[in-house]
Amino acid sequence: MVGKGIEDVDITMPRDAHNTGKDTPTFDAYLTAVVRDSEGRVVKVHRQRSHSPTANFIGLMLPLTYFNVTGNSYTLTNTGGSTFSYKPVPNASAQCISYPINASNYPTYLLMIQVGSGQQSNPFSATKLASPIANGSGTGQLVYGQPSIPSNITVSGNSAYFTISQTFNNNSGSTITITEVGIILNLQFTNTNNYANTNFGGVLVWYDVLSSSISVPNGGSVTIYYTFTVNP
Amino acid sequence: MVTPDLASEEDIAKLIIPNDLPDEQSTFRAYVEAKVYDKEGHLIQHHRQPMRSLTRYFLALMSVPVIGTYQGASINSAPSVLTNTLGLPSSISGTNAGNILWDWAIQLGSGTQAFSPTLTSLAAPILNGTGAGELSYGSLSASYSGGSIYVSLQVTNTTSSSISVTEIGITSTVYLQYSSGSKSTYNFLLSYDTFSTPISVPAYGMAVFQITLSFTG
Repeated sequence: MVGKGIEDVDITMPRDAHNTGKDTPTFDAYLTAVVRDSEGRVVKVHRQRSHSPTANFIGLMLPLTYFNVTGNSYTLTNTGGSTFSYKPVPNASAQCISYPINASNYPTYLLMIQVGSGQQSNPFSATKLASPIANGSGTGQLVYGQPSIPSNITVSGNSAYFTISQTFNNNSGSTITITEVGIILNLQFTNTNNYANTNFGGVLVWYDVLSSSISVPNGGSVTIYYTFTVNP
Repeated sequence: MVTPDLASEEDIAKLIIPNDLPDEQSTFRAYVEAKVYDKEGHLIQHHRQPMRSLTRYFLALMSVPVIGTYQGASINSAPSVLTNTLGLPSSISGTNAGNILWDWAIQLGSGTQAFSPTLTSLAAPILNGTGAGELSYGSLSASYSGGSIYVSLQVTNTTSSSISVTEIGITSTVYLQYSSGSKSTYNFLLSYDTFSTPISVPAYGMAVFQITLSFTG
């Protein structure tokens, strides 16, 4: 019954509803990199829009209604290539994203912002960086600092945002070039019966190929900032 | 190119939200859509407009898949984004394990108000029911395709008068589960938009409202 006569109706799309690319998006993300030399002086500031939540991110954002109505699960893939059928349900036996409780510790946390020297053409389907730069002081490596998470969401007028960041030091002896960046979450699933807890490990949730490569001089550092904002 | 040294964190902050990026468009888009049917089931209106108004609660919820629910590997406490913005506990007091999950719904209203990222409700929510000025909220569905998430709601006007819908929002219920099935619930407004022209649901007619969040254009 519903939809009958749809052919007869002159449906006029409001002009401002077409994706002209000029309307202001309600959500945006930015990637900023501040490069310092061995003396701590800023030698480059790189700024670009961040474009690419991954398929893992979309699956983790889905509301319960999707799982309840469809009966489907969502396949998540970690950086090692293993998969997990994610299907949160409000009952004691379902494995859902862990939350702190005083009785146990199954942390889901920001594992790292990871940097790499490769690139891949389909960021949405990426499950790991193309060529991750290892944590260390050897050739081609960077020393990974601890990721920093926000203490709050900053509200400014109609906008609100939060930022995460991480610093990488180059003690390798040579300049290192970064071409890709990703956010990796360590994901644990728990059920409240505590009979089946799964430490799924690192999951790539956000991925960007840099619009231009970043060179980190020997003895220098780079700090990567990701900013997520609404109504920018 | 060598830039002057940055003097303070304030200088860094100015870099974080750049307003001088090249003419590069964002890939994120969101839309609000309404299809209205008369009592015969004929489609009589199709309205679609960009969504512009996500709240800070949306941002806090989307922080879960980005920064997680713990401050770190060995810190058994939730990030302050979740405790300060959503009011969730830093740690649940209970047995066994805890977890988090959430649902979304669409709320319709007949009022208007200025947007603020701290809004917690619609100006004048239309109640679910069959009385005067009420709409019967039917099935809610959610789906995804690629990087887009869709939420839609069907409503029916069982009254003998048309009902005007002027505002729409996504509401969310967050569940914290613990101790073999105990739950705490928290409710938030994730988005708020007013329609550029009111949506009139005719007497005995129905409407389908859909919100699209497209993360990859």
